[in-house]
Amino acid sequence: MPSSISNFDFSRPIPALPWRGLLIATALLTTAATAAWEISARARGYAPTLNDTPDLWADRREAVQPDSVVILGDSRPLFDLDLDELEKGLGSRPIQLAIAGSCAFPNLEEIINDGRFRGTIICSIVPGMFFAPGGPLEKSATDALKRYRERTIAHRVGHQLGMLLEERIAFMKQEDLVLAKLLQKIAVPNRANSYLPPDLPPYFQTMDRERRTRMSDAAARPGPLQDRIKHGWIPLFTPPPFPEYTPKEVLEGMGRAVEERFGKVAALVKKLEARGGKIVFVRYPHSGDLKVLEDKATPRSAEWARLMRETGAPNIYYSDHPELIFDCPEWSHLSGPDSVEFTKRLVPHLKKALGK
Amino acid sequence: MLFNSLTFVVFFVVVVGSYWLLRGWETRKNLLLAASYVFYGAWNPPFALLLFATTALDFWLGGRIGAAADPVARKRWMWASVASNLSMLGFFKYGNFLLENTQWLLARVGIAYQPPHLDLFLPIGISFYTFHSLSYTLDVYRGVCAPTRSLRDFTLAVSFFPQLVAGPIVRAADFLPQLGSARTLAPNQFAWGLFLMTLGMFQKIVLADTLLAPISDNVFGHPSPVLTLDAWAGVAAFSGQIFFDFSGYSTCAIGAALCLGFHLKDNFLFPFAAVGFSDFWRRWHISLSTFLRDFLYIPLGGNRVGAVRAALNLVIVMFLGGLWHGAAWTFVVWGLIHGLCLVVEHFFRTVTKDAAWKETLPANLVLCAITYVVVCIAWVFFRAANFEGAAMLLGAMAGKIPVGQAILSGREILQVALVIVGLWIFHWRLRDTSLEAAIASKPSWLIGALWTVMLGAIILTQGSGNAFIYFQF
Repeated sequence: MPSSISNFDFSRPIPALPWRGLLIATALLTTAATAAWEISARARGYAPTLNDTPDLWADRREAVQPDSVVILGDSRPLFDLDLDELEKGLGSRPIQLAIAGSCAFPNLEEIINDGRFRGTIICSIVPGMFFAPGGPLEKSATDALKRYRERTIAHRVGHQLGMLLEERIAFMKQEDLVLAKLLQKIAVPNRANSYLPPDLPPYFQTMDRERRTRMSDAAARPGPLQDRIKHGWIPLFTPPPFPEYTPKEVLEGMGRAVEERFGKVAALVKKLEARGGKIVFVRYPHSGDLKVLEDKATPRSAEWARLMRETGAPNIYYSDHPELIFDCPEWSHLSGPDSVEFTKRLVPHLKKALGK
Repeated sequence: MLFNSLTFVVFFVVVVGSYWLLRGWETRKNLLLAASYVFYGAWNPPFALLLFATTALDFWLGGRIGAAADPVARKRWMWASVASNLSMLGFFKYGNFLLENTQWLLARVGIAYQPPHLDLFLPIGISFYTFHSLSYTLDVYRGVCAPTRSLRDFTLAVSFFPQLVAGPIVRAADFLPQLGSARTLAPNQFAWGLFLMTLGMFQKIVLADTLLAPISDNVFGHPSPVLTLDAWAGVAAFSGQIFFDFSGYSTCAIGAALCLGFHLKDNFLFPFAAVGFSDFWRRWHISLSTFLRDFLYIPLGGNRVGAVRAALNLVIVMFLGGLWHGAAWTFVVWGLIHGLCLVVEHFFRTVTKDAAWKETLPANLVLCAITYVVVCIAWVFFRAANFEGAAMLLGAMAGKIPVGQAILSGREILQVALVIVGLWIFHWRLRDTSLEAAIASKPSWLIGALWTVMLGAIILTQGSGNAFIYFQF
């Protein structure tokens, strides 16, 4: 006997079609199309590798111990530092927490405000990125932090399953082969005076579960991919013009935020050092037209010099040491072999700066 | 757990496979109950206890209502259920909102009051499962359904995972009878359920998240004014995004339930083809509008209490409907716009009730377009972070801000136009029929091709899965 009575007599209609046959045909066709897409991706030089997701970052953040060596910053330490060489030189395997296209400040603030941490931070400074007030550069960092703080069981399981697929399937490239990115390749004229963000550089690296990153061979050698990447940096590193009508308080707020950041970083450094932690700021190699642009927009004598003066922290500016000057094939990062050599040469400077 | 996640794919395969392999209806129901709590607990396990507490209290109160012979006692038990459910919802969802507004009001009369900030974590889907559970005691009180004797069945009715966190708001009176007898596995029904799940995922992952969300996010998040075209494109994109997002979730829920042998009612019926606001609310979030109609509008007297009172009832219902969506005055304004439009429409229908022109195609198309435009204007308040943002965007839409910027690319504008016009044509053609009838009228090869394209696009989109907009409600 039903435990409840009601006037419920609803039954969803099923369209009169051969659904079993359709299901089998769809499964076969989709499998074939997916296989064809995978073959096509591999033929174009893509290989299975992990996407750098907030979950992957959160995994590494969770691995941080009170006395860990952590790497913070943008894409340069991600590409340029070799974890094996650092481990050999510093005696401890570092944890890679740098994020491509990000401002390092939110993560620097978070890890120093974590009272348990008294380890070592190797922090990259690209002034144009580190001092960016808000916007997508900060969002890249805060998205990762948010995931670290709010991870659910479902996120963790989904991440493990996702990694299993990404390590086996070449077309799973969130930054280059997803539908949204493919649609962006459709050429439709833009309106005059459009205020549009520049395109991000295409896929050119591999990454593993430790977030060890290597430039792909195709990007390291001269060719169309390298040219695309090179010329992607210039619009990315060119500050966009302010909109014709930007509220005065927005402009003032941005200026205030940049000013305050110097003081905040100095206070954070003091806080870390007071409990026995160490930090070293590093400026990594860059070259070509990008170096010309960065030197003009953010000369060493400006933000870098002021930050070092106000924090009093040890620092390494690559061009002060001839052995650290490398040619970046795509102007911003080192190739895989060069990253190993660069790290070997950087280790003595790090040890000296950290008093090891 | 999100429908558009790998975790859900694995969860669903395991649950559906085990469900149909198990023998015995009681065992299957136990499995579904456990799976539903795993589904919910995978987000935040402690809040599963809150879900169970709500359910158990309403189970007990439903029993008391059913057992009470005295109408006054029945009413008291019913109000106890309403008060307990709304108190819990109010505490978690509206606690800070109430304190902030109390502070503001006291400040107006010169009293300085500094309320404590409640550091509350909003339990996901609380607005939905509170209404699932509350519908039971209200329907028992109304005599629509008898109280169930099975706590397990009622707990499953409230927590059934396909509809648990973002609707449709399935009434216990519609679901409990389906638990009375074993569901049977019908291959065609199962495959149709999978087709609906694919359609729902396609709506969410491809149309909402990939084609529209970045555009609406860009326009609504832009700190300075935008050009009129960009403003309209952003708002149109949001109108499509929220439809595909929520309708996609409902379609997935209906499909997932069908795969398990359960039948859930439609939550959307081609709302872009609505002619007028009463028509819109017969097509948009139907489970909420019927809930508010049956449990609020009609008890207030509905339209049987004179024109002025009926109009006031409509405004009250939509005011609370707006507040249900979120603890902010922008949601209230969104609800009030809909309430006022319903009143105006009612007046318009009264004065033009014999006009033949209203039934012509051109008139219907014009009225449909007007409805869409006003709905879009209301969406500005729904989506904007605050009134300043809403005012800036409305100013841009009205062409009142001469210094706006062009922030959308040509491709993005084309993308919005194609999706929204396509959606509008699709809804208009199907407005007097159903999805099932439309699918049945097409050749099999076309449906197979459509299914393949949708699956292919989902695979191509990948992504880590954005939360559904309605999860936050």
